[in-house]
Amino acid sequence: MNSKVNKKIIKAAKDTIFYLFLTTLIAGMLLPVYFIVSLSFLSTREAYRYPLPLVPALKTDLELAYGENGYMLSVWDRTDKEYQTVLDTSEVEKMEVYIKSRLGTKITQEEIRAEIARLENSGQESIFFTKPRNLLFNYDTFFKVTRDAVPALIRSIGIAALTILISLSIGGLAGYAFARYIFKGKDALRFSVLFVRMFPGVAIALPMVFILAKANLYDEPLGLSLIYSVGAIGLTIWITASIFMGIPKSLEEAAQVFGGSKLQAFMRVTLPLALPGLAASAMYTFLGAWNETVAAIILTQFKPTFSVVVYQTLLGAQGQINLAAAGGIAMALPALFFTFFLRKYINQMWGGVTV
Amino acid sequence: MAATRSKSLRKMWGRATPYLLILPVVIYYAIFWVRPVIVVIIGSFTDASGVFTLQNFVMVFNDENFWPALSNTAIIVLFSVTIEFIGALFLALLINRKFFGSSIFLFLTLIPMALPAVATGAMWITGLTAHGWINSLLYYLGILAEGEKIYWLGGLEPNPAKLLALVIIIDAWQVIPSMMIILLAGLQNLPKAAKEAGYVFGGNFMIVLRKITMPMLRPTIQTAVILRLISAIQIWLIIVLLLGFGRLPILVERIVYYHEEVPGLNISYQMAAGYTIVVSAIVSLAALVYLRVSGAFKKQETA
Repeated sequence: MNSKVNKKIIKAAKDTIFYLFLTTLIAGMLLPVYFIVSLSFLSTREAYRYPLPLVPALKTDLELAYGENGYMLSVWDRTDKEYQTVLDTSEVEKMEVYIKSRLGTKITQEEIRAEIARLENSGQESIFFTKPRNLLFNYDTFFKVTRDAVPALIRSIGIAALTILISLSIGGLAGYAFARYIFKGKDALRFSVLFVRMFPGVAIALPMVFILAKANLYDEPLGLSLIYSVGAIGLTIWITASIFMGIPKSLEEAAQVFGGSKLQAFMRVTLPLALPGLAASAMYTFLGAWNETVAAIILTQFKPTFSVVVYQTLLGAQGQINLAAAGGIAMALPALFFTFFLRKYINQMWGGVTV
Repeated sequence: MAATRSKSLRKMWGRATPYLLILPVVIYYAIFWVRPVIVVIIGSFTDASGVFTLQNFVMVFNDENFWPALSNTAIIVLFSVTIEFIGALFLALLINRKFFGSSIFLFLTLIPMALPAVATGAMWITGLTAHGWINSLLYYLGILAEGEKIYWLGGLEPNPAKLLALVIIIDAWQVIPSMMIILLAGLQNLPKAAKEAGYVFGGNFMIVLRKITMPMLRPTIQTAVILRLISAIQIWLIIVLLLGFGRLPILVERIVYYHEEVPGLNISYQMAAGYTIVVSAIVSLAALVYLRVSGAFKKQETA
């Protein structure tokens, strides 16, 4: 009886230590992610404070007083723990712009006028008020200021979809051949798939500038899809071969025994069974195409992809790291979404993959 | 007579099926891979006016950044592949235990892999600057005194060892998940019976891992390592995002440098093409050596 209780306690202790260990591990791994997310919600003023605030503020505390040029606007600084004067002006519009853009806070001109009236009626030297933060300000600005962001987003989705179409149809056929047939040159093809990956992707992009220009495909989404498919086809062959290997051949043979043709057997039996795995493979291709930056930088000019737009914001944004962070997060969201669904199919996708 | 002919036709058709299935891939690779590769190879062996020359390679080998780039690349590959393999194997073994919540844990560990390179770049740039979040965090934790800062990327004298270590850590952070999922898939496909037998005969966790799991996992390990080896040699974007061109020369970074940064020079294309061929030769050589040493060829001969 006693030993049973003891065992239970030991098990509970072991479990606790195990989950504590897991939590620490995950916290350590995801710490950088937390900070970029937090940074994407910080106001421009706070994004340049040191030390950086650990969490984004939900509200802004402001102080209004009389100044030399009219009214003095001060803001509570979470790093220095004091009100710091940021503006001395009589223009309501200037205050509105500053509060909205530098402090990322919701306010209207009427509200500012009301606060000024309150200051004058109160007879005190200064008054305090609090306004809610506009947490999505950086995201909003990223899409508004970055002139290409929205069209680039649409373009990137189109490119990824086209890449999936090309690589799944071409690579899927070869993957099926790999899984079901023994044929001469199988090893040679297997090796050439690997060899294609060995050649630096950047190196292909350089001559492709000329080749695509000749075909009038330079700076066109289709051109990029064609390049991305080169890498994606190799992975798709590996993954689809693994998927088809996991579906017993006997099922297809049974369908043929019952009078179906080979094609019918494939369409009616194998394909439906392979569908989840194929979808996972497509998501994998999507991730690759969506995240790709290097070839996109080289092969686009006036029609950048979304990753290129974020890259340019990052390089050109010496004064706007919170905007770059917002752009990066906006880019990461679809990728995370697909990864969430992908995790179930890892076994199917990579199970039978060998070099 | 007619029946046998249709039978033999059918047989021929059956034999041709796999070739018909792989034909699109062959055509696609011929147009979009072989052709640009040939263009680069020709470019690397000709001068600006199109005459055959070996001068491009002489220029590459005499480039003052070539040898540093080669050794930096070698160091990165050696350390990052080793660290990433150990980390990925550890995580894969952990998740393979299928504890409560392992599916969510798996998703969380996959996040670094899903993040786009530019997002990762933004993350580490904002972290590693002197007033970035890493120093801020150290300050809040009481490790850094007020006004004290660590200059991760800068400092007065250049310190390649420090920069290399940073690059290796950042790369490991991003890449361990993608290596882990290949190993995890391999682990999940191993027959459970073998492992259980190991335990029944008195083996502990380490012995079962060393004598049973690892040998059975070998083909998967080969796949994971070879894919990683190939892409580790091609790391460059994160380095350029963090440090700009030229501060930590890397072979692939040199290709992009000559193509993107100094396109005006009349030797730029020759240098880029020369570097491309050198890098490709190194990648292929490294992959072949690894496959031979790890015994992947032997496996195929017996199979």
